[in-house]
Amino acid sequence: MRLKIAALSGAFVLAGVLAGLLAAPVAFGQTPGLIIGAVYVGSVNDYGYNRSFHDALAQVARDLPGVKVIEAENVPESAAAESVLENMIQQGAKLVVPTSFGYADASRRVARRHRDVAFEFAGDGDPERNFGVFFGSTQRAMYAMGVAAGKMTKTNKLGFVLGVPIGYSLGNVNGFELGAKSVNPKAKTVAVVTGGWSDKAKEAAAANALLDQGCDVVSMHVDSPATIIQAVEARGGMSIGFQSIEARALAPKGWITGLGFNWAPFFTQIAKDVMAGKFSGQAIYRGLGDMVVIAPFGPSVPPDVQTAVKKAGDEVAGGFNPFTGPLNDNEGRPQLPPGGTVGLDQMGRMNWYVDGVIGTLR
Amino acid sequence: MTTPLVAGLLAGAILSGTSLLYATLGETLVERSGIVNLGLEGLLLIGASVGFALTAASGNPWLGVAGAAAAAASANLLFGWLVVTRKANQLATGLGLMFFGFGVSALIGSRYTGAVISGLPRWRPAWLGDVAWIKSTTLFNYDLLTWLAVPVACLAWWVLFETRWGLGLRAVGENPAAAFAAGRDPAALQYQVLPLGGALAGLAGAHLSLAVTLTWSEYMTGGRGFIAIALVIFSKWNPLWAIAGALLFGGAEALQLQLQARGTGISPFFLDMVPYLLTLLVLLAWGGSRRLAAPASLGRTFYGSS
Repeated sequence: MRLKIAALSGAFVLAGVLAGLLAAPVAFGQTPGLIIGAVYVGSVNDYGYNRSFHDALAQVARDLPGVKVIEAENVPESAAAESVLENMIQQGAKLVVPTSFGYADASRRVARRHRDVAFEFAGDGDPERNFGVFFGSTQRAMYAMGVAAGKMTKTNKLGFVLGVPIGYSLGNVNGFELGAKSVNPKAKTVAVVTGGWSDKAKEAAAANALLDQGCDVVSMHVDSPATIIQAVEARGGMSIGFQSIEARALAPKGWITGLGFNWAPFFTQIAKDVMAGKFSGQAIYRGLGDMVVIAPFGPSVPPDVQTAVKKAGDEVAGGFNPFTGPLNDNEGRPQLPPGGTVGLDQMGRMNWYVDGVIGTLR
Repeated sequence: MTTPLVAGLLAGAILSGTSLLYATLGETLVERSGIVNLGLEGLLLIGASVGFALTAASGNPWLGVAGAAAAAASANLLFGWLVVTRKANQLATGLGLMFFGFGVSALIGSRYTGAVISGLPRWRPAWLGDVAWIKSTTLFNYDLLTWLAVPVACLAWWVLFETRWGLGLRAVGENPAAAFAAGRDPAALQYQVLPLGGALAGLAGAHLSLAVTLTWSEYMTGGRGFIAIALVIFSKWNPLWAIAGALLFGGAEALQLQLQARGTGISPFFLDMVPYLLTLLVLLAWGGSRRLAAPASLGRTFYGSS
């Protein structure tokens, strides 16, 4: 009997150790001069947000000698993230990149405990000594996407699937509608919220609901555009991608264009700063032309639309801010006075839909 | 042209409801034999991940469907061995199966996340496809699993209520001691229904990943297993009522997105609660009454045979 208990407990301990070993974050790169730790809320194979970071960090590991990257995927946005971050620091990570908005509290707590480790948090908030914040400003770039949608739509109804209605997502759909309205005053955007960054079944149902409502161009702000683009393509609609320009492979007929992130130059600079001991936390938001790129156009996009989109993209890259007052929200309340603007660092606090977006937030 | 709300709702209900129906049927059959399987969520995930992995690896969605059914059936057999032969507590073991399903499905699915599949082929009868208001929707444009959902439910009803095997199964669920005394073997009957119920749950999971979302991500089922368990009670352990229940709950999931897309002023956060509110209301209304014919020995372990 006691032998049985001993054997069983031994088996459990062994299983636990094996599980722990197998669960350790995946690493790649050469012998470490700098270890970068990256934490993802989803999988890096998502044709979307997480993949954009994975691709960029892999690029940094290739370009800079002595850089090694450790990654942890599918880490929930809760206090559990703290233990993952601590684990990475114990493995020697000197630059930690929490990539999802929901890791804010956990990463700030860990950063305060480890002032010798640099953090670059993908989101907003005040930077601290060793805690930088950054993001690619897609909201103004979405204006160019709206121009594409406004020109390509035949029903004047555009669809937009939102995951979580944080300020950045609302800014995206607002930028989209502003761009569409600028070339097609009758264009309206229907906004549907699924409630999560990556709820595939709801995304499929949301895309179908939008198409049922007569929207013929659909864009999105969710972690992976894959499900929505495939659902739209299956019903003959057109799509505008987001997060990763690789998503165009999913819609050979209906792809118009899309936005993607290019984090590699930014991370290369930050990695160099950390290795030289010169890192200091700042708020860095860059948009089109730097961290954000426009995807290649699909086969059905006529040349005049491509020109218009490129022109709008150049304007945005040159500093044009579509979020300039006077702007009313879709309930008629004025949100921006004449001349008022929403700056890149204030985007996280946006909480209204612009006039022309069909949807409610309360 | 925009689809009328009813058509959009029906299309969405059928899209969401098919996997709910298969899961409910699987659980109904197993509960009729006296075993309550709280691990249905884990079975769905195993079905979804195995189905997706096989389809992505081989390019053949039917292989994925078959593999999903087989994998979930095996998982249910493992559950059955623990509960029938080892006489473990059914509720705790079921929850253990659920966590097992979480982990195994994440492990299997992780290699294939991001793979692009074309999924189960859809088919619509030509005469329906020509009707104008149907053509632009997804109505009647279904994959084989959806077309077979209602026939399978009818078959399950027939097996349960019109065959000797079904009679024996129900007897075991009501009073295994009496069934044993009458010459039935409760353990054997339970072992026969467990892989069947598991296969149906595997089909539900496969439908989700191969026909609805065409992708895999962790915890993709989002609580559908628990909604199916509530649906079993709602449908009074009768497969025919399960059809209505699955449509109702599938419709609730579709309703909130359709209402958002229509621009109604209801908060999306409130609408998100609707399927789960409905589950609670249904359990309040139907859960307590003694008339409602839960199998009398549901959840009880029978020590008489083995």
